[in-house]
Amino acid sequence: MGDHLSASASTQSPLFRKSLRLNIAAKQALFGYAILLPTLAIIVIFRFLPMLQAFYISFHEYDLIRPPRFIGFDNFIDLLQDPLFLHSARVSVTYVVFSCVPVWVVSLALAMLFNREIRAKNFFRSAAFMPVVMPAVVNAVVWTFMYHQDGVVNTILGWFTLDPIPWLRSSRWALWAVIIIGIWRATPYYMVIFLAGLQAIPQEYYDAAQIDGADAWGQFRHITLPLLKPTTLLVMVLSVIVAMKVFAVPLIMTGGGPADSTRVLPLFIYQTAFEFFKMGRAAAMSVFLFAAVMIFTIFQIRLFSRGEE
Amino acid sequence: MRLLTRLLAVALLVGVTWTCGSAVDAGTAPEPMKPALAFPTEPVTIEVWWHEYGPFTAYVKELIEAYKRLHPNVTINPTIASSTDMNQKLTVALAAGTGPDIMDADASYYVAYYAKGVLEPANLDVFGVKSYQELAARYVSGGLASGTFDGKIYTLPYQGNSMSLFINNKLLAAAGLDPKRDAPKTWKDLMAMCPKLKKVEGKRTVRKAFEFPYHSPRWQLQDLQPMTEQFGGKILSDDGKTAYLNSPETVKALTLWRDVTKECGDPKNTKNTASNPNQDFLDGFTAMWITGPWATPQVVASPIKNDFTVVGLPQVDPSKPRTMVYGWAWGVNKNKPEKNKIVAWDFVRFMLSKPDEWLAKAGFVQPVKGVSETEVAKRFPFFDVHMKDVQTATWYLRSENVNEIAQAVGRAVDSVVYDDADPKAALDAAQAAVEKVLKK
Repeated sequence: MGDHLSASASTQSPLFRKSLRLNIAAKQALFGYAILLPTLAIIVIFRFLPMLQAFYISFHEYDLIRPPRFIGFDNFIDLLQDPLFLHSARVSVTYVVFSCVPVWVVSLALAMLFNREIRAKNFFRSAAFMPVVMPAVVNAVVWTFMYHQDGVVNTILGWFTLDPIPWLRSSRWALWAVIIIGIWRATPYYMVIFLAGLQAIPQEYYDAAQIDGADAWGQFRHITLPLLKPTTLLVMVLSVIVAMKVFAVPLIMTGGGPADSTRVLPLFIYQTAFEFFKMGRAAAMSVFLFAAVMIFTIFQIRLFSRGEE
Repeated sequence: MRLLTRLLAVALLVGVTWTCGSAVDAGTAPEPMKPALAFPTEPVTIEVWWHEYGPFTAYVKELIEAYKRLHPNVTINPTIASSTDMNQKLTVALAAGTGPDIMDADASYYVAYYAKGVLEPANLDVFGVKSYQELAARYVSGGLASGTFDGKIYTLPYQGNSMSLFINNKLLAAAGLDPKRDAPKTWKDLMAMCPKLKKVEGKRTVRKAFEFPYHSPRWQLQDLQPMTEQFGGKILSDDGKTAYLNSPETVKALTLWRDVTKECGDPKNTKNTASNPNQDFLDGFTAMWITGPWATPQVVASPIKNDFTVVGLPQVDPSKPRTMVYGWAWGVNKNKPEKNKIVAWDFVRFMLSKPDEWLAKAGFVQPVKGVSETEVAKRFPFFDVHMKDVQTATWYLRSENVNEIAQAVGRAVDSVVYDDADPKAALDAAQAAVEKVLKK
């Protein structure tokens, strides 16, 4: 009894209470980490370890079956002199520029439209989001039919007495055909992100601006755009990364042709790895691509940060 | 520190986004060959992989059941993959040590598997022969050339397809041509028929007289290879180390390709795809088309039905015919237990023992002697034409770098046809690309 009383007294001491509080905090932290651990393990094992492996393989000659042979920087040096790689890089850059810039503009415009009080707003928002929900393979197959000589696209051109365009069978048009699908597919996704950003801007700012006599353009320029900066940065970074990785649509629709006109870098990486079985070379291309995206992303973040400072 | 934190955040964002993203009834068959060795009596399980093609899959499944009845101790697990994915899946599985006991691959890929040391040579005891020459003697001349390495036979083809000219009789008749009398023997003959067959309304082509393939670089090489040989050249040296893509003969072949295309086709307008390579011909959109005997069941099932003719591949000089044969073959995985390899080769022998059934049920022509005399072959439309083309054929290019060579050829063809590039310049670029690959 005496022991019990003494134990009870000690648990009530300020020192014990402090250590108990620390223990509970530590336990909560541990519990939090325990919950995070499976996800973290999956990300590390299935995402980051393969990326590290790719870095390792990029310094080797490896055909999957014979053991890898260390060749130092040969893959990287060789790629910089390879006209096919440089051509694919150019195709990818063209794709990124001409798909991302329209996506930024159109998705912001649509977000502003759907942020207004319009009839059947929810229906239109859902309808606009459909291309995102459709798998890339389905998109590619459907658009292949639409781009055919007698397909929907050329039929519409015919209404305006325009000649049919060989969308997927012309090295002049094929990349534009793929870019159009990229814009069509990405716009609704980024529209939703912009919409969320727009809805986070307090209405009071606009009310105050109206009282001060600001017109719609003034409100857009001095309230909407500055307050959408973090959202815009997110949209720009994500859209460039996703566009840099475009693969399924050119693979299914053109296989990279005609005459390599749609062979974007991820498709060339895939062919080098799984058709030519040059894993080291493909890994080196991936490292180049990764570095390019990384540099671009840092550049964008710095650009936006400078404005803040 | 702030910069470091930002860099780490960027690396994490790029890394996670990067990796998460985009996210036929059988006639009299030749006597089956019998094994002359002790067959395993204990339970044996083997894996067989093959590429998806409806009639082929159905027939192989039938053969598996028949073999299991003969050998109740043998379990055969099938895996079916699309033809376009098979090489990739097979290579990855062989690398991971999870490859099948029996593999099915495009014959042109086996040189790479041989070089990588994953192929088991044919078990002579299973085939009841004393030498590889004795086994090869069962096939037509060159029939096993695609799977013979350093004097040993490593793969056996279940299809060795000619590439012959299929003609839509109705379309020719509508143009006032007789499919039998007017069928082209030379490229010149073919070009002379085109103005009558090709139909253009305004700027829309509504019917093509003839077309080369544009849906796959491998198909493009399939046609350019025999054309080059018809001019007396070749794409690659016999040892596979020297390419002749910009030789005068290859340039002549590509120039002919361009001229035929301008006169007869419209490559910007096609529904052919890798999975439906014959679509324009089946739709009656192209009057003449080069394809293999395996397309016969598709043609018969299409609106064309039996109203078609097959003639030999057009030639530059019919007195020196050169054609091309390509196909798929069975091979056995070297890295499997001995008992599995015996059962695997015995099942391959069993599968291939009835070439008439292969023709009847899958439309595949095995390049074996005597198949022409079977009742099925006699009933198969234009079988004699296909076999004649096989006899003047060389196998599809055999090289570890066949896909890169095909890509270079496809690029050259595309740039000439779609971008009006000079054939010599286009082939110079292809030669440079292939030389670089071969040097390594």
